[in-house]
Amino acid sequence: MKSQHPVLPKAAGALSWQEFSLPVGLRAAVLKQSAERVELLLPDFQSRGIVLTFLQYKGDLRVRWGCSGTEHAANPASGLMTRTGRPVTFLSTNPVVLSALSIFLPAGWADLFFADNAEFRKVEQLLEEETNIITCRLGRRHLSLLTSAFALYEEQGSSLLAMQNTVLTLLEYFLCNRHRSLLGVNPLSDIDNEDDLSLIREVESYISEYYCSDTFTVDSILKKTYTSYHRLNFLFKSMHGMTISEYIRNKRIERSKEMIADNVKSISQIAYEIGYSSISNYILAFKKVYQITPGKYKKQIDNLAG
Amino acid sequence: MSYVSLENSEPFLKCFEVIAEEKSCIVSDSVLYFSGKTGKGFMTVAGMATGIEVLAVNVSALAEDLVFNFLPSDDASSYLLSFDEMEIPGKQDNELTPSHSPVPGSLYSSVSLSDATRGRVVTYPRDGVVRSILIRVRKSSLDHLIRDFDAGTIARILGTAGGAETLTWPITFKYRLLLNDFMTEIVQHPFRELFTIRNISMLIEYLLQQFFVMDRLAREGNALSVQDTHSLSRVEQHLCLHYKTEFPGIERLSRISAMSPTSLKTKFKRYYGDTLFGYYQKNKLEHARRLLDNKVPVKVVATEIGYSNPSHFTLAFKKEYGFSPWHYLNPH
Repeated sequence: MKSQHPVLPKAAGALSWQEFSLPVGLRAAVLKQSAERVELLLPDFQSRGIVLTFLQYKGDLRVRWGCSGTEHAANPASGLMTRTGRPVTFLSTNPVVLSALSIFLPAGWADLFFADNAEFRKVEQLLEEETNIITCRLGRRHLSLLTSAFALYEEQGSSLLAMQNTVLTLLEYFLCNRHRSLLGVNPLSDIDNEDDLSLIREVESYISEYYCSDTFTVDSILKKTYTSYHRLNFLFKSMHGMTISEYIRNKRIERSKEMIADNVKSISQIAYEIGYSSISNYILAFKKVYQITPGKYKKQIDNLAG
Repeated sequence: MSYVSLENSEPFLKCFEVIAEEKSCIVSDSVLYFSGKTGKGFMTVAGMATGIEVLAVNVSALAEDLVFNFLPSDDASSYLLSFDEMEIPGKQDNELTPSHSPVPGSLYSSVSLSDATRGRVVTYPRDGVVRSILIRVRKSSLDHLIRDFDAGTIARILGTAGGAETLTWPITFKYRLLLNDFMTEIVQHPFRELFTIRNISMLIEYLLQQFFVMDRLAREGNALSVQDTHSLSRVEQHLCLHYKTEFPGIERLSRISAMSPTSLKTKFKRYYGDTLFGYYQKNKLEHARRLLDNKVPVKVVATEIGYSNPSHFTLAFKKEYGFSPWHYLNPH
C-alpha cells in the first residue's frame, strides 16, 4: 500500500535544510541533527511569503533577528513566524541537538486561501513591521504533531500526503493559538505556555460569570478545570500577582463598590447579592481591600454627593 | 420534500437560496441554520479558489426529506465525493433503506465517489441524524492536490468498477472522528478555509489508502462481495459505537455479521488492515487522546473509556503510542 505513495526526499550529512514541496502548494524544509556549534539561517525559499518555523533542541540556543541584531534565548520548543527576507539566525557556541521544521506560505497561496479572512490580515499586519516576529511556546498538541512529522520524515517510504496533513494541522494550530506573542514585546515572561495561558483565560471567564453566586467556590473551579489548587494559585500569582481567592475577593468588592455608589441597596443586601454568606465577612473583606468599612465609604460618597 | 437540483457549474451556495426561501431559515456568514419545525442543525459551504467546493450538512429531526440532485453534465471536469454518517431511528441496522437512491445497496455510513458527468442524487432522510460532507472537486485540482500520486488512480478505479456510477465504501473510525471534529468546529473556526482544506486533505489520504487496499484485494482475487462488505461494516460500526464497553467477543460479533468466526477474522483483517480487537483498541485510545487534549485528567479518561484500572489504561496507551498519557500531557 505504502509503496504507491510518493516518497519524501532524503539526504544525510551537513547542517542544512532538506526542502520539499507539498501538493497543496506549500513548501517545507526539515533539519534534524546535532552539531558542535551552530550558526544557521532560516531556509531561503526565494520568493515572497511567510515562513513558520518550529524548533526543538537540547542544549542552548539563541535567536538573532532584525537590523539591531538583538539576541534572545530561544525556548526549547517554540514556533516562530516571520516574513521571508528578514535575516533570522540561530546561534550556539555549545553542542546542540537540533530539529526544526520550516513551513513556507507563498504570498500567492495565502491570498488564495485567506482572501477574506480578517484574522489572517491581522497576522500579516503584525509581521509587516521590520522587527516583529510572532512566537509561541509549543503546547502538547504541537509537540506530538512535530514529533510525528520528524518520524514521518525519517521513516522510509513515508507518504507525502501524510506529511502534508501534519504540516497543515501544525499551521492551523499555530494560527488558532490565541496567545501568540510578539517576541520581545511579551510581558508575560513566566507563563508563555499556551496551555497555561488558555487555562488562566478559562478560569478568568468562569470567575467573571459566576463570582456573584453564593454557591461559587474555588473548589468548583478546580473541578471544572481539573487543576490542583496549588498550581492554579501559582499561575495566578505569576499572572496577576495575587492568589486566586484574592482575585475573586477583589472582583466581588469592586462590584460591591459600584453597587454602593448606585445607592439603591443597603449594605447587607449588597453583601448577600455578591455572594457573601454574612455581613461581617463582607465588611472584613472590604476593609482588607480599601482599609475602610463599607458603611464609612458610603457616608463619604454621600458627603461628596452633597 | 425539499428538492434542490444543481448544474455542474452552479455553486453550492445556490442550495442555500432555494432552501432558505422555501423554509425561511436564517443564513449568516455562509451558514444556514435550520430552526423550529424544519429541523435542527446547520449547513455550511466553503468554496475555495482552488476548485474545491464543500458542503457540510449536520442536521437532525428534519421535517421532510432533503434531496440534492446533481444533474449530469457533458463537461466532465469534476468528481463528487461524499462522506456520510446517518442514524435513522426506529430501524434496525440490517433493514436500512439505501440512503443514496439510484445506487442500490448503499451503506448508511459510507464514503463514496462519483464522476460528475453521470450526475448524482443525494437524499437526507427525515427524522434521521445526518452528518455529511459533500465535496465537488475539479479533476485538475484533485490531481494537483495529489500531484505526485499516480494521477490516473481514481479514474482507473472508477473505470474498473464494472460500470457502477458511484463507488461506495463503508467508513472507518478515522472518518468518524474526523467528521465529528469537523462538525463541531467548522462554524466558529477562525481559519475556516485552512481548517477545511486540512480536513479534505486528510479525507483524501484516508480515501486513497482505502483505494489501494481495495485495488490490492481485487488484484489478488480477494475482492469482497457486497454482502460481505455490509456485514463487515456492521461489525465495524458496532466496535466503534461501543468503545466505552468491554470488547464484545468474537461470538457476538460473528452473530452480528452472520459470518463464521474464522471468516470474519480473516476478512476483517484483510479489509480493515487490523484484527478485530486491534481495531477496537485503536479507536478507543484515539478517543482517549481527544479527551486528554481537552485537559481531562488521566484517571477520569480511563474511567470514561471503560477501564476500571487507570494503570491498565496507561499500559495500553503506552503500547499504542509509545509514550504514557502522562508524558503526552507533559512533553516539556
